Amino acid sequence: MSAPPLSRRQAALALIASAASLASCDRPDEEIVPYVEQPENVVPGVPLRFATALPLDGYARGVLATVFEGRPVKLEGNPTHPASLGATDVFLEAEILSLYDPGRSRTVREGTRIASWERFLSAFLPAVRRAEARGGEGLAILTGNVTSPTLLRLIGELRGRFPALRWHGHEPVGEANSAAGTVLAFGLPLSPLPRLDRAAVVLALDADPLGPGPDAIRHGREFAERRSARRDGRGFSRLYAVEPVMSVTGAKADHRLALAPAELRDFAAAMANRLGASLDAPALTPAAARFLEAALVDLQAHPGEALVMTGEWQPPEVHALVHWINERLRSPVEFVEPFIPDAPLPLAALAEDLRGGRVETLLVLGANPAYDAPGDLGFAAALRDSRALTVHLGSWRDETGALCRWHLPESHPLEEWSDLRARDGTVSLCQPMIRPLYSTRSAAWLLGLLMGRLDDTAHGAVRATWTAQQGGDFESWWRRALHDGVVAESAAPRVSPPPARLPALPARPSIGGLTLLFRPDPTVWDGRYGNNAWLQECPKPLTRLVWGNAAHMAPGDAAERRIADGDMIRLELGGRSLELPVLLRPGTARGVVVVTLGHGRRAAGAIGDGVGADAYPLRRSESPWAVPGLVAGSLGRKAGLLREQPDQKLEGEATELFQTLTLDAFDRRRGDPPPPSARPPSLNPDVVSDTHAWGMVIDTTLCIGCNACVIACQSENNVPVVGPEQVAGGRDMHWLRIDTYDLGTPEAPSPGFQPVPCMHCEHAPCEPVCPVEASVHDAEGLNVQVYNRCIGTRFCQANCPYKVRRFNWYGYADGQEYANQGAPVLAAQRNPEVTVRARGVMEKCTYCTQRISAARRAAEKEGREIREGEVVTACQAACPSRAIVFGDLKRPDSGVSRLRQEPQHYALLGQLGTRPRTTYLAEVSNPNPALDEGGA
Amino acid sequence: MSGAKEGLLPEGASYGNLVGTVADPLMRRRMGRWYWGGLALALLMSLVLAGSLAWLFIEGIGIFGNNTTIVWGFPIANYVWWVGIGNAGTLISSMLLLTRQPWRAAINRFAEAMTLFAVSIAGIFPIIHLGRPYLSYWLAPYPNTMQLWPQWRSALVWDFAAIVTYLLFSVMFFYIGLIPDLATLRDRAQSRTGRVLYGIFALGWRGSARHWARHDAVYRAMAAMAVPLVVSVHSVVGLDFAAGLMPGWQETIFPPYFVVGALFSGFAMVVVLAALMRWGFGLQSLLTMRHFEAMAKIILAASVIMGISYATEWLMSWYGGERAERSFLHHQLAGSDALLYWSMIAFNVAVPQVLWLPAARRSLPVLIGVSLLINVGMWLERILIIWDTLSHGYLPSMWRPWHTSLWDWTILAGSLGFYALLFLVFARVLPVVSMHDMGKLLHEREDAG
Repeated sequence: MSAPPLSRRQAALALIASAASLASCDRPDEEIVPYVEQPENVVPGVPLRFATALPLDGYARGVLATVFEGRPVKLEGNPTHPASLGATDVFLEAEILSLYDPGRSRTVREGTRIASWERFLSAFLPAVRRAEARGGEGLAILTGNVTSPTLLRLIGELRGRFPALRWHGHEPVGEANSAAGTVLAFGLPLSPLPRLDRAAVVLALDADPLGPGPDAIRHGREFAERRSARRDGRGFSRLYAVEPVMSVTGAKADHRLALAPAELRDFAAAMANRLGASLDAPALTPAAARFLEAALVDLQAHPGEALVMTGEWQPPEVHALVHWINERLRSPVEFVEPFIPDAPLPLAALAEDLRGGRVETLLVLGANPAYDAPGDLGFAAALRDSRALTVHLGSWRDETGALCRWHLPESHPLEEWSDLRARDGTVSLCQPMIRPLYSTRSAAWLLGLLMGRLDDTAHGAVRATWTAQQGGDFESWWRRALHDGVVAESAAPRVSPPPARLPALPARPSIGGLTLLFRPDPTVWDGRYGNNAWLQECPKPLTRLVWGNAAHMAPGDAAERRIADGDMIRLELGGRSLELPVLLRPGTARGVVVVTLGHGRRAAGAIGDGVGADAYPLRRSESPWAVPGLVAGSLGRKAGLLREQPDQKLEGEATELFQTLTLDAFDRRRGDPPPPSARPPSLNPDVVSDTHAWGMVIDTTLCIGCNACVIACQSENNVPVVGPEQVAGGRDMHWLRIDTYDLGTPEAPSPGFQPVPCMHCEHAPCEPVCPVEASVHDAEGLNVQVYNRCIGTRFCQANCPYKVRRFNWYGYADGQEYANQGAPVLAAQRNPEVTVRARGVMEKCTYCTQRISAARRAAEKEGREIREGEVVTACQAACPSRAIVFGDLKRPDSGVSRLRQEPQHYALLGQLGTRPRTTYLAEVSNPNPALDEGGA
Repeated sequence: MSGAKEGLLPEGASYGNLVGTVADPLMRRRMGRWYWGGLALALLMSLVLAGSLAWLFIEGIGIFGNNTTIVWGFPIANYVWWVGIGNAGTLISSMLLLTRQPWRAAINRFAEAMTLFAVSIAGIFPIIHLGRPYLSYWLAPYPNTMQLWPQWRSALVWDFAAIVTYLLFSVMFFYIGLIPDLATLRDRAQSRTGRVLYGIFALGWRGSARHWARHDAVYRAMAAMAVPLVVSVHSVVGLDFAAGLMPGWQETIFPPYFVVGALFSGFAMVVVLAALMRWGFGLQSLLTMRHFEAMAKIILAASVIMGISYATEWLMSWYGGERAERSFLHHQLAGSDALLYWSMIAFNVAVPQVLWLPAARRSLPVLIGVSLLINVGMWLERILIIWDTLSHGYLPSMWRPWHTSLWDWTILAGSLGFYALLFLVFARVLPVVSMHDMGKLLHEREDAG
């Protein structure tokens, strides 16, 4: 990974800039309000927590940032925020690394040359005056999805000043189909908010509510609320999934049917017909008909609690049809009006304008169309060849920034003031956690510049937006809103849509050939997280693929084309081709090839460049999610796919590792005494503790495999990234992994997720084998690793039946970092309460011992016991579905103690006599007896 | 008695020409090109070892092919293998002395040297395999300000103690056996330096009857102590694995099976080295085919015991009924490394059976071929004990394939080169055959005749 060649002048400037920026790690100038404690209480070494919000596709997800002396190190969900509910997903967790990304843009650039802000102003302001003189003719701005009231206000003001201003919007994932679907069904654009917590039966028609996205956390929580198998629990919902490729929703479904898009359209039509419509619907296959019959009977048996969902990748007609069906089922779906009164123009229009020379000045804010525009738009070429004054504002000098005349470095959302709305309309005021690391500006500043205000600040702009709206005591309202992280009562009013109209379904796509389907990536989303090393190294759910993407294909389709698993294949579509590795996935519908977006970045930075294959060139703007007519062929060579676990089926006795039971079986055991814990006799003395006995219970029924815990652990515990070469050698460092096993059949795979942290065994096999006593037990039952005593014999890991220990083969965090991960700025992200491990020592999950210690200190200071729920591990805090529960086993009333009494409780490999403190609840499924061919 | 000694000494042997046969290569003959060529090659390989170790200290033990699942690899396998080689020398010397095997006299000296060098080289590996090798002294119970002691429950601490004890003992045993011969060399040395150096180490040996009586008593007493040590050292190495919890390791058969395996590979190495010595130093008259035949019989017996041990492992894995054990057995016999496993069985059990044929036992090429294969097979056994178990543990999610790196191979090859270097230097400095033991044999023959 060689650094780009720098001239001496550039190098000197970069050096000065970085030196100046590092010296500026400090709290911002303006007053920001801590979440719990007052700023005057800042005590060195004692972190403060501040509320703010971070966007994904423009939508706010509230976070609480842990800040050590002006240095944010960890993000957690804000419990009062409706889109994070106290939990996180991988994107929220990893945003802290993006803040400190050494690849972030630090300077203004004119073309490739480093320039100054003054120089930019002298070039830009005349263009603004020219545009004003012509009423905004030739002036265009391009944004991502904007929900910020302040930015919307500023754009509104701009339109006043520049009436002919053209505002374009572009989100590679977005919700265009969903919005178009509501227009088809109701005649007006609405934003549907399905309520999984109020649904007893859910049918996901190619929907992935549990998968990544702005709603993922809320969906995960709501789903979990209806899927907790407890002795005293209430109802347990049933989930059906019909989809072309296995999603995490499909993995959690009680019944799943793999259907290609054309069959899925027929399935939806047949379903509507059964509810009284008369759509053109060919006969379904017997299996699909049986599935539909069972699901429909089940849905109809739960009026008001039956929910059908569909995904963004389905055409608007299917969305509309689902709204129509949901209306028949009186489904728990809420609707809110969009926040943007008049939607921006599409990207295609901008490409046309650029080609036609109708754009004189273009501002690109928070979008990267040179990389992520559909290939048929030819956007990158249009931008490159345009003679317009193109200005890119972004935190990275990405593909678009490299093609624009000017690139301006943008502040990271954690460095700047702003406001954002969540999907339900709830407003969050976002406050900076740190003064900008580099000389960066905000979008509000740039828009203010257009208005002729040279000294606008984001802080001023946000306050201006809200002073206009809030009467009365503004200051206390402001403080309250900043403190809480949400503006009270700001959620958009729920609207009752007019009766849904039955849409005309599109003609059935011609059968034959392969259809290429696109999906957002579960770790890099649409590519915007491409330079985030944590996310590149985060094993994708189900496939556990890291550092790249692959084409997913049904084994049958591959066999017909003589494609073997792991081959490099070429996908050809309308004159464009793409070469990438293939991953054969049982459970994929015949006739489709699925590729995730967001890889193959060309200007992401030292981490993301060239990782995986870029599928955007094959995308079509008119049907962005599915393109028929694909030809796939093997290139006859193997690709080095990096997976942290191959596909593994558990059969026979091995199913003891991942135990499952049906809801019926659970109900029968509901009244049984708790299962005896496996405790083979031992010569070792029993572990006794007179203070606490920490333990963890993980409910595999609730785990949706989202990896939030994995990244949370990495963030909290300074777990280094090792890079693709070390992963290929089998040396990943994650302290927590999500083992994924298949429990189904080749035709109907049924994956199960099992998060595996350290078991903190009472009789830990790692302890007696360590010759230097680096692996020892503490008084509260934690199996701790003394890093500075460890000499690296690795006997502990050799003897660990769970293989949860991780060894620093190189100084992954200690002088031999991957790529640019040793840059000084990244040291600021390190949690100061956790040792950064040296080369040659073993490390592993500590149950976040620093958090236990913090709680103990707080309790001792106040002269009380540590309260139940006071210690929350990082993985537990992150989990959207609350599958991880941590606490004191000595307290009979603690959450873990109660979960240990559940009938489905078991210890992993308990028969070995290790007496693990981390234990599991077996996965409970709720199969429909009418479809009982083994869906359990 | 005389029958047992037949063929062990040249026909017309006298004390004078016995000593001459052994000592002249050191004192009076120049070495041929094969020696210098061999020495150069050994030196080069030793430099490769030194370079690799330097790189290891600079770059860290990530240069090995190991990974998170297979945390051990070549270094530990090499260690066990070298300790095994080192096991035979002292055993030959002591056990054969105690059981009064007359054929011991011709081979015990270099077998002991072999032990010494092999154990020294073996001792390098547990140190360089550590993540922080510069802290390896923490394994020793030394008084320190932290008031920390090693953890006595760890098999690695037992191992450390066993190896150090064995090494120190082997050095003493070797040296005491060498004293009379050092005196002989002192008396025959042609240069003043030789006389002084040999003289210092001969500790004033004059060959008086009192000296001989004391020497004999000490030497026999040490031999008696050596036998349990030989057994203990490799038993403890076996416990490194057997004290673990992993399928394929947690087996009570390991200590005896490791001891036999060590003797097996050690004797195979002695055969190879004896053949080389015999050719290189013209010792055909002292190292006769009777010696080789006797060693072949021991190898054959050991190979049968190895076969029984393997079969016992299979039976116990299956009969125990534990899921992970059975899965492990299946992996061992039919998994991705099955080819290596069956090669090991072929080299260690099948091929040595040819030694049932007397003609094969008397054919040096056959014997050398079998011995080399055994050494390869025993190395495979050691690496497979590690790879098979660690790559196929309790949780399938962590099953991973093993990798080797360039440095794994350079360090293995370098250790062989260093061993050759030590041996070639030894052969030029010290008598490779115990002159006084041969003399004693001659004396006994003359008494009998």
